[in-house]
Amino acid sequence: MNNIASLLRRRLRALFRRSIVEREMHNELAFHFELEKKERMRAGASSAEAHRAAMHAFGSVDHVKEAYRDARGTRPLENLVQDLRYGVRVLRRNPLFAAAAITTLGLGLGATLAVFNVVNGVLLRPLPYKDPERINVIWVAWRWDDGTVSDMPLSSGWYSDIERDSRSFDAVAAFRAWPYALAESPDAEREAVAGARVSPALFDVLGISPAVGRAFTREEAVPGAPNVALISHDLWQRKFGGNRDIIGKQIYLSDAPFTLTGVMPPGFAFPRGAELPAPFQFGLRTDVWTPLVFDSSEVRNYDTQNLMAVGKLSERCGTGECSASVVQSELTGLLIRSMPAAQDKHAYKLVSMADQAAARIRRPLLILLGAVAFVLAIAAANVISLLIGRVHARQRELAVRSALGAARGRLARQLIAENLVLCLLGMVVGLTLAFWGTKVMLSLVPGSLPRADDIGFDWRVLSVAGLLALIAALGFGVAAAYAARLRFTRAAVSVSKTRRVLVMTEVALSLTLLIGAALLTRSFLSLQQVRPGFDPSNALTARVSMPLSGRFQPLVDGPRWSTTFDQITARLASAPGIDAAGGVFTLPMSGAYEGGGVRPIGKVYPAGQNPSAQVQVVSGDYFGATRTNLVAGRVFDASDNEPGRATMIVNRKFAREHYGSETDALGREVAALFEFARDRPNRVIVGVVDDVKTVSLDADAPPQVYVPLSQHPAPAQTLVIRVSGNDPLAAVPLVRQTVHDVSPSATVKEVRTFESVVADSLARQRFNMTLVATFAILALVLAFVGLYGVLALIVGQRRREIGVRLALGATPGSVVRAFLGEGVRVVAIGVVIGLAGAFALTRVLSSMLYGISTTDVSTFAGAALFVGLVAIFATWVPARRASRVDPRTPLAAE
Amino acid sequence: MAPQDRSRDVVQGTLDMLVLKALSLTPMHGWGITNRIAQITKDVLTVNPGSLYPALERLQDRGWITADWQTTESGRNAKYYKITAAGRRRLGTETESWRRMAAAIEAVLRTT
Repeated sequence: MNNIASLLRRRLRALFRRSIVEREMHNELAFHFELEKKERMRAGASSAEAHRAAMHAFGSVDHVKEAYRDARGTRPLENLVQDLRYGVRVLRRNPLFAAAAITTLGLGLGATLAVFNVVNGVLLRPLPYKDPERINVIWVAWRWDDGTVSDMPLSSGWYSDIERDSRSFDAVAAFRAWPYALAESPDAEREAVAGARVSPALFDVLGISPAVGRAFTREEAVPGAPNVALISHDLWQRKFGGNRDIIGKQIYLSDAPFTLTGVMPPGFAFPRGAELPAPFQFGLRTDVWTPLVFDSSEVRNYDTQNLMAVGKLSERCGTGECSASVVQSELTGLLIRSMPAAQDKHAYKLVSMADQAAARIRRPLLILLGAVAFVLAIAAANVISLLIGRVHARQRELAVRSALGAARGRLARQLIAENLVLCLLGMVVGLTLAFWGTKVMLSLVPGSLPRADDIGFDWRVLSVAGLLALIAALGFGVAAAYAARLRFTRAAVSVSKTRRVLVMTEVALSLTLLIGAALLTRSFLSLQQVRPGFDPSNALTARVSMPLSGRFQPLVDGPRWSTTFDQITARLASAPGIDAAGGVFTLPMSGAYEGGGVRPIGKVYPAGQNPSAQVQVVSGDYFGATRTNLVAGRVFDASDNEPGRATMIVNRKFAREHYGSETDALGREVAALFEFARDRPNRVIVGVVDDVKTVSLDADAPPQVYVPLSQHPAPAQTLVIRVSGNDPLAAVPLVRQTVHDVSPSATVKEVRTFESVVADSLARQRFNMTLVATFAILALVLAFVGLYGVLALIVGQRRREIGVRLALGATPGSVVRAFLGEGVRVVAIGVVIGLAGAFALTRVLSSMLYGISTTDVSTFAGAALFVGLVAIFATWVPARRASRVDPRTPLAAE
Repeated sequence: MAPQDRSRDVVQGTLDMLVLKALSLTPMHGWGITNRIAQITKDVLTVNPGSLYPALERLQDRGWITADWQTTESGRNAKYYKITAAGRRRLGTETESWRRMAAAIEAVLRTT
C-alpha cells in the first residue's frame, strides 16, 4: 500500500509541480548528454566531434523528452487540461460568440434547473422524517349512498381500535387542527397560531424528538392530566427569543395555562397545511402541539369523523412481507367489528405520506418539466446553430491544425473540451438563474405548494446540472466535429441545410409551447370571468375565533359564541363607511367547506341515495355583505335567533333538485343530519338564494343549505365586511378594534380582501399559466434569435452574389422577396410540425383547462399566425439588409 | 517510435531486468546505468536515453527503484537511482525466468 501512496504522490507531483518536474528532467538529460560527450573527449575526440557523436548516440532530445513524459502516466489528464486551457483561450478570443452561446445555454439550463429544483423538492426528496417510506396516512375509503367513494377521516373510536388492536404498525398517531391564541401571560397580547392536537406517539411515527426539552408522554394525554404543550423552533425564536429558561414554564393557549415541555427541531412543522386536504384546516406550518385526549366516551365514539391518522408500518410490513393490502384488510376487519354495516362498503386505505403530500401536484409539475425541456431543446439548437456558424469562421484554423498532423480524434477531443468549457460556464449561469427562478416560482404560489419548505439545491439538482452540461458538451462537440467534416468534404449547402433543420425545429417547438401557454391563459381568463354567485369587490374578510382551550362543547358555549358574533357584526354594520357585515363558518373560495346529510320531509329517495348538501353556518347580514341574491322568501333576521326556532335557507340548486322550483321550496321542512343536539325539530325553508361557488371557480355549486349561527353553534366565523368606498383594507383597524372591544380574548387572523381570497383560489392555475407563458416567450425569443442568426449568416455569405445581381439590374425588392421566400419556406414547415405537435400534446393539459377545448381552433390558428409573423420578421431584417448591398461590393472585395 | 527504439537496442522486456541488475551493486545515475550495461556487455547491448528514462519512470511506479538528487564526485547535482527490496526480489524472479527461457532456447537451437 506504501507503493500506491508513493505512486499517487508521484502522479500528483507530475500534475501540479509540472514546471519543477520538467526542469528536473531537463537537468537530468543535460547531465547525461554532458557525460556522453566527456566520455568521447576522453577517448580523444575534439570537442566538436564529441558533441556530434554524443548527439548521434543520444537521438532526438525532443523524442527522448516525449517518451519520458509519456512514462509519467499523467498524459491523458495533461491533454485534457491543455485542451480546456485552449478552449478558454478560443472563447476569450471570440467574446461575442461566447457571450451569445453561454447566455442562451444559461437561460435554457436556468429555466430547466429551476423547475427541476421544485420537482426534486416536492416529488423526489424523501420527506424530512425518519424512515419516511414507512409513514402512511390512514383514511377510510367511504362509499357514499350515491355510489361515490371519498377519503374520510377517522372517528376517535376507530382510531382507538387501531391503536389498541392493530399489529401492522410500529406506532400510530391521530391528530387534528386546533387553532390557538398564544400569549406569554394572561394579560399579554394574544396571537393566533396554527396548533394541532396530536397523540404523543406522533413523534415516534415521524421519528423526530424535540431539540430542547422533551415530548409529552402518554400519561400527559389522559383526561385530567395537566396541560402541556410543545412549540416550533420558529415560534420559540420569534416569540421567546430562543430562551431555554422558558422550558417548564407556563404559556397561555386560548387563555388556559400550559406547561411548555419542549421545542421541536428547526424546520419541523408537521402537519403542514398544503400537504393535507384543505377542509382539515391545518395551518401552513404547525407551531404548537398539545396532547390529543380521549375520554372514555370518545374511545367508543364511532360517529364523529374528525381525526387524521398516520402510522409507521412495522419493519416487517415496510419491507413487503405483508403488503399494503394485507394491512388494509386487517384494519378493515377492525372497522367492520365496530360497524357491521361497513361490510363490503367502507374500507381502510393507506396512502404513503409522500403521495398524500404531493400526488395531486405531480402531473402539473411534470407537465411544467416537459414544457421547460422544450425551452432547453431550443436553446441547445441555437447553440448548435452558432457552433456550425463558427466552424465556417474557423475552417482555416482547423485545416492548418489537421495539416500539421493533429490526429482527427485529438481534434474532436479538443472540440468537445472547448464545448465543455462553454457548457460549464453555461451551467454556472444556469444555476445562478435557477436559484432566483426558484424563488420567483415559489412566490407565485404562496402557501399552496405542498412541501415548499423541502425545496432547495441538493446533490440531485447539482448532478442533473452537471449531467446536462456534460451531455450538452458532448453533443455540441460532436455536432461541431460533424460540421467541420462537412465543410472539408462537401459543399457549404449541407451546413446551411443542417441549420435550416435546426431553425425549423425551433419554430415547431416554440409554436407547440405557445399553443399550450395560450390554452392555459385563455382558460385562466375564462375562470376569472366566472360569476361566483357573490360579489368579492369592496369587501374585507377576517377570521375571528373564540378561545377554545378545553373540549369542544357547542351546546354549552354556543349561545355565548352566537351573541358575541351578533354584537361584532351589528357594531360593524352601524360604523361609518360600512355597508353590511356578516359572518360565515367556511368562507367561499377559501378552500374550506363542510358537508352534511339532509332529508327533505315528505320525499322518498331510492335506497342508498340519501341526499347531502354543503352546510354554511352564517351570522349577521351575511347575504348582504357578500351580495348573494335572494331569489325567493327572506333572509335570516332577529326572529331566527329566538329559542326553539329551526329555519334554513337553501340555494337554487337544492330547491330545484328537491322541489322542482325555487318558490315551491318555501315552507318545506328538512331534517338536518348534522345537528349537534339529537332532538332538534325539522328545519323550515324560509328563503332561496343564488348558487355560490365555494370550492373552486371551475366546479359547479353543489346543493347548499344555510343555517343561522344562533341555531347551529360554531366557535369561529369569517367576517365579511362590505365597505362603501373602494378600499376595503382601510377598514382593518376598525375591524380589529371592534372585535377586541366586544371580545378581548377572540383572535383575528387571515385579514384579506375578498378579491384576494378569490384570486388566491386561482393560485395554482396562475402558477401553471405564468410559467408556461414565460417558457413560451423565452422559446419564441430564442427561436427568433436563431432564425435571425441563420438568415443573417446566409446573407453575409452571399453578399458578393447579391452585389452581382444588383449590378446586373435586379431590384432591391426582388432580392428581399428571394430571401423572404427562403425564410418563409423554413418557417412554414416549422409551423406545420408545431401544429401537429401541439395537436398531439395539448391533451395532457385537459384536466387543467376550463371552458376551452385542448384543440381550440382559434387558439391554434392565432398562435400559428403569431409565430409565423415573428419568424417572418426575423427573416425580413437580414433580407432587407441584403437588398442594401452596394453593387460595387464584388469589385471591392476582389 | 519509442517502442521501436527499445526493441532494436535490447531484447524486449529485458531492459527492466538489465537496469535492476546494474543498480543491484550500487546506486547510479542514468548515464552511469547506460555506461555500465555497455561496459559489461562489451558494447553488444546499448540502452539509449529514449528507452532508459521511461523505463526508470516505470520501475519507480512499480516501487522497484527509488530516485533522489545527490551531488556527484565532481560536485554536480545528479539524480541517483537505487534498487529497493521489492526490486531485488523482482530481479531474482526475472533472472530465474530468464535463465529458464535462455536454457530452453539453447536447447531448441542445439537440436536443430
